[in-house]
Amino acid sequence: MNRKRLTALPLQLLLVCLTMVLSLSITGFAATSPPVSDTAKTERLRLGERMYRDGILPSGASMPAFIRGDVEVDSSAFSCSSCHLRGGLGSYEGGVVTPPTTGNKLYQSYRRPPSLDDTHDRSGRFIYAKTVVERPPYTRNTLATALRFGTDPAGQVFNDVMPRYPLSDSDMAIMIEYLESLSEQPSPGASKSEFRFATIITEDVSKEERQEMLLPLQNFIDHTNQQMNMYNDFIKFGYSPTIEMKYAFHRASLDIWELKGPPETWQNQLAAYADAQPVFAVLGGISNGDWRPIHDFCEARRLPCLYPITDFPVISETGWYTYYFNKGYAQEGEATARYLNRLATVTAGTPILQIVQDSPAGKALAAGFDTAWKELGRPAVTTMILPADTLRNSKKMAKILTKRPPGVLLLWADAALLPLLPELTARLAAPGMAFVSSSYLGDKTATISENVRKKVFITFPYRLTPFVGSKDGGFDAKVPILATAKDFGDRRIVSRSTTMLKQATTRGLNLLYDNLYRDHLLDIMSMQMDLTVRDYERFSFGPGQRYISKGCYIIQLGPGKEPALLPRSEWVIQ
Amino acid sequence: MVIALIVVALPAASARAEAKKYKRTVEKVTVPDVYLINQDGKKVHLETLLKGDSPVVVDFIYGTCTTICPVLSAGYLNLQGKLEAKGQAVRLVSITIDPENDTPKVLKEYLKRYRAKPGWDFLTGSRADINTVMKAFNAYIPDKMSHYPLNLIRSPKDGSWIRLFGIMSSKEFLEEYQSVALVR
Repeated sequence: MNRKRLTALPLQLLLVCLTMVLSLSITGFAATSPPVSDTAKTERLRLGERMYRDGILPSGASMPAFIRGDVEVDSSAFSCSSCHLRGGLGSYEGGVVTPPTTGNKLYQSYRRPPSLDDTHDRSGRFIYAKTVVERPPYTRNTLATALRFGTDPAGQVFNDVMPRYPLSDSDMAIMIEYLESLSEQPSPGASKSEFRFATIITEDVSKEERQEMLLPLQNFIDHTNQQMNMYNDFIKFGYSPTIEMKYAFHRASLDIWELKGPPETWQNQLAAYADAQPVFAVLGGISNGDWRPIHDFCEARRLPCLYPITDFPVISETGWYTYYFNKGYAQEGEATARYLNRLATVTAGTPILQIVQDSPAGKALAAGFDTAWKELGRPAVTTMILPADTLRNSKKMAKILTKRPPGVLLLWADAALLPLLPELTARLAAPGMAFVSSSYLGDKTATISENVRKKVFITFPYRLTPFVGSKDGGFDAKVPILATAKDFGDRRIVSRSTTMLKQATTRGLNLLYDNLYRDHLLDIMSMQMDLTVRDYERFSFGPGQRYISKGCYIIQLGPGKEPALLPRSEWVIQ
Repeated sequence: MVIALIVVALPAASARAEAKKYKRTVEKVTVPDVYLINQDGKKVHLETLLKGDSPVVVDFIYGTCTTICPVLSAGYLNLQGKLEAKGQAVRLVSITIDPENDTPKVLKEYLKRYRAKPGWDFLTGSRADINTVMKAFNAYIPDKMSHYPLNLIRSPKDGSWIRLFGIMSSKEFLEEYQSVALVR
């Protein structure tokens, strides 16, 4: 060897290896028994979590790693959790099988059935990543070797996509202790025989809407329990279940967490519910107000909250525990910004005026627009936040528009403003466009005066292309469902709740098997393929993606009392 | 003792470098006449971007991808660093396969996270345009969760594309790149 090969390797890697080998030869494989440390266990686990999730060493430096033999990478862009996921149960993506990294799994032997993919080249394509067929259990010692050199206890070499981590003994001990703690105990609210769920309803929700959300949920619980009874009968009559069946059936229960009084008190109310009877996940939920207190509670408790019906989700790039259908009102504001950005008729000199009703909806629409407009590198637009009575006062409004006639008017207001639209749009300068939100205007959207429809653009965050399936989101109907003007104002609570249940169950709970961990549920939900659903054109997922429908059309209305919905943009505007 | 251990520790990497684990073909590609959007939010005419008298490398990745994309991107970064050390500027293009989520902001943050240097562009666009581009490059991925590792290098000599399927070592990547570069 090997002089040539050695010199071909980067000097840095050699130095790292040399340092490691020296340290190992002096101390022996110290990872066998973690060095005694004054740091408390919780602190060590915190440091281990940071290594695993963010690729940051206890020292604060980024964790060095090498892939493909000789490429040095920065673990802050390449953390363990990016492939093995937060719950540590691994993933399957892009043909790469990432095996589990929890102590529970690593310290057991592993064997999988042979697969057709156990070949180097099939149908002209390389099968470039697969797991080993069999390996003995790891020990702390062999695990340290695996992380440093990429070989398992049987000496089999890992795939090139797995980085090699030249960790010091003390850092390695922290990492291994964390892996041992990862998904060690089943999460609260789940056992081999039962899932406990809750849903959340705030007191501002009407009786009818409350029922619309609860009915599909209660049907789901009844159906799940009925299946469990059938399964029990099946066993009673002497049949042997398959492995799949063993994990497919659970009893389920649903608690209703009612929230009353001011939102500042909700977190305490939620804590009281969760402490009295822990649940595995929150299914759906509904509120007319800001979802933030509930979002924050779920983050703090690491409690999954799946697809609540809310127009006011928390817009966050780091939020983990709540899956939202979309960004609510903010998404409509964003779509408007992206649509305007690419119009040749809207130049840097076009005056844009944003008139915002002093309400949570108006402000959420404006915030969505402002954020996206800024992201697009555009200067802030003139924004006026006005009380509802000013918005209905035609004289005051005329005065505002006459002073400096805008070319584009964003009107984030409710339907009470509609009678003024002809007068307002008449005062616009070129290109003379007004934007409104169909969610905020509700069922009155269809009543926009015919003579201004050419100037009025409407945000519409739902599906426009035909959906072949039933109204409740199933796939059993024969006639395609088309969006019509009658759909304005429909919050689609039944169909969205049904979609939520299908999402949470067929793509989540049913795939948990015996890995009853909340983080794992969120992990596997994030690794789904794209989906077509009743109310949205497309659901798309990905690690960390939490607003699952990314689209919002800009539409105009055709003529007549039941106007056609005419798309002026594609579903996702770039 | 120390030397002996290094020898034990390293042959895996050396041996792997010898057996090629990727598939190489040379293909003709008609680059579609589409405009995509780069990490700065600027419209880019794809065909114009990919032309020129230096090689250009293309891959298909997405902002929140695990497993393959980080590996492909680490390969880009390494190639960029190695060529820069030789005083050569390399043109790298990544095209998203998740246009729903990958706004210019997401693209920019991705490049920042990888400490990409200028010369590496990350493009998004409408789903229809992205699909057209993937199909033109014989790289159509109907769903991002089932994508595969692929690099394409355009030869400035005759405009042909080297299609590299699989994961290359950085040495192999550099060699493939240099095989089509006019100046070595």
